[in-house]
Amino acid sequence: MSAETAGPETLGHLSDEPKGEDPGTKGRTITGKSPMRIAMGRLLRDKIALVCMAVVLFFVLIAVFAGPLQKLFGVSTETVLPSQFLNLDLTPKAEYGPPYGPLTMEHPFGIAPRTATDNLAFWLEGAQNSLQIAAIATVLAMLLGVTLGLLGGFLGGAVDRFLTFVTDFFLTLPFILAALTIAPIINERFRDSPNYATVQVVALIGVLAGFGWMSVARLIRGEVLSLREREFVQAARVMGMPTGRLLIKELLPNLVAPIVVASSLMLPAFVSAEAGLAFLGIGVTTRPSWGQTLNQGISFFETYPLYLYQPLIGIVLLVLALNLLGDALRDALDPKTRR
Amino acid sequence: MFAYIVKRLLAGIVVMLLVSLSIFLLFWYGPSEPARAICDTKTSQRCTPAKLEVFTEELGYNNAWYTEFPEYVGGIFTGRDITIASQTTRCDAPCLGLSYKNGKPVWDEMKGRLPATFSVAIGGAFLYLLLGVPLGVAAARRRGTVADKSLVSSFLVLSSVPYYLFALLTFLYFSVLFEAPFIGNPGYVPFTESPSGWVGGLALAWICLGIFGCTQYTRYSRGAMVEALSEDYVRTAKAKGLPQREVVYKHALRAALVPVVTIFGIDFGTLLAGTIFTEKIFDIDGIGLWALLAVGQKDLPIVQATALFAAVALILSNLLVDLLYSVLDPRVRLS
Repeated sequence: MSAETAGPETLGHLSDEPKGEDPGTKGRTITGKSPMRIAMGRLLRDKIALVCMAVVLFFVLIAVFAGPLQKLFGVSTETVLPSQFLNLDLTPKAEYGPPYGPLTMEHPFGIAPRTATDNLAFWLEGAQNSLQIAAIATVLAMLLGVTLGLLGGFLGGAVDRFLTFVTDFFLTLPFILAALTIAPIINERFRDSPNYATVQVVALIGVLAGFGWMSVARLIRGEVLSLREREFVQAARVMGMPTGRLLIKELLPNLVAPIVVASSLMLPAFVSAEAGLAFLGIGVTTRPSWGQTLNQGISFFETYPLYLYQPLIGIVLLVLALNLLGDALRDALDPKTRR
Repeated sequence: MFAYIVKRLLAGIVVMLLVSLSIFLLFWYGPSEPARAICDTKTSQRCTPAKLEVFTEELGYNNAWYTEFPEYVGGIFTGRDITIASQTTRCDAPCLGLSYKNGKPVWDEMKGRLPATFSVAIGGAFLYLLLGVPLGVAAARRRGTVADKSLVSSFLVLSSVPYYLFALLTFLYFSVLFEAPFIGNPGYVPFTESPSGWVGGLALAWICLGIFGCTQYTRYSRGAMVEALSEDYVRTAKAKGLPQREVVYKHALRAALVPVVTIFGIDFGTLLAGTIFTEKIFDIDGIGLWALLAVGQKDLPIVQATALFAAVALILSNLLVDLLYSVLDPRVRLS
């Protein structure tokens, strides 16, 4: 915005000049860029963001192709008769890889102490498990948060007060405690159920999403509060647009940037939470999770540090890349940052 | 001001009732056979359906929740008698039920574990401020320099790593692989028993919490300080020729501390509510570790009690922050 277009001079301007002739645009073609394209351009110039994107892409590919990759390396998480692979102190025998032997192609990451599971297969499935749970939980939490934020912010009044109270109420409950409380109940209730594995994962996703939506709801509510006073919303209202359509067609497109940023920061939080709960033994127990290896690895750390480092490096790389990418996205989408 | 406090207190009580009701209902309707765990213990794993029914009846699970909930709440304030396996135990106030595993009142054991959690929380929270605020102030004063930029970016990376991994690595390297000097084995030793053992046993946990937690405080106090340093009154203070130190610490810092105090209150509440990761990794016998063990043993009254305790700790700290905020910030007080 230049100084000439603002101020009292513009009034005279309008009456003097023939309409449709803006002196600034004469003689050169205007190339319009959508805000998304500007953001993409900024993101692609950001070297850290590019590296992070590559890391994230790597993990996504691993998660998607965990099954075929296991076949490719000829490994699987199933082990028949673990004791034949193990020494008496439950560490793997030297011929199956570290810590006492060299790495073998049969088990590229070695095998686990105690259970003798192949580490690569476990790691791949752990990546899949982690990203799957985090992604589904993020989508659910965003849906919940955006819906409640939109409704509360736009409708105002009693609805807003009620939703704000619910949001604050959920904010007072720490999510780790909720997971801790819900875990024994799920265990007890579905102990003998054939779908126990599914129930556990669904419950975990439920806890993550159920205690992750509040920050989004607050953020969206705040944005909506300022957006709803803008002219385009009032115009739509005056034209008689139904509320539902107004929310989706007019408000939602203006909320894309905060939604993208919030989800990109929520994903690593959930990846980290999933592994953390599995580490405590109150997360996923029926299928491979990186957190389980962390817990198992503590007692073998002195003899077999590599075992602990595999999930650790996985978690750190994934969470760090996602977090930094989220920060880069925020900078890229924010029209106020000028570079 | 008075109306505000009363309003906040009432809201706090309502929230506390709601939370305890939700926790109670969760444990009431959640498990399909809530008496199973105690039945297994009392009959040494030979629980028949008939015996299970007896225990279910005794524990009151056949009654409606709205008759049992007031009893549970009443027990917290006045204590009550609980009969398990035709053996009546007096459970004194604050009664949080009896443990299914050993039949003792939950509060008795909780009392013994509170000091450990308090110790972790106090030390950790102290380091949050001790490390976080001076670093934030120093960074704000040197805004834009290499030192500031490297501090900010390294803290960004550090705070992006999950806390439990940071704690786990600290534990493994400074306790398992190399014994850190002057620090004993991690674990809780009562302060009254041996002050040096208390410090030594908790030092690693404190340092871990402090270093990781202070990143947030550095960020906040740096932000608040940068803002405060550009205020008019700071310029005035400088213009009147006050020494730099006095301008920074007396004028700017006082204003910058208000938002920091808010987060600090909530963080302290969260620490009190249970430092589960810290307690598990550093093997400190506090509330968090206890809750975790109880989950493994399906000892529902303990899990319920820890959940209730944590929720109350959080709500109270939120309340306290709100009240404190109204004292510190005149804008809140007057609105």
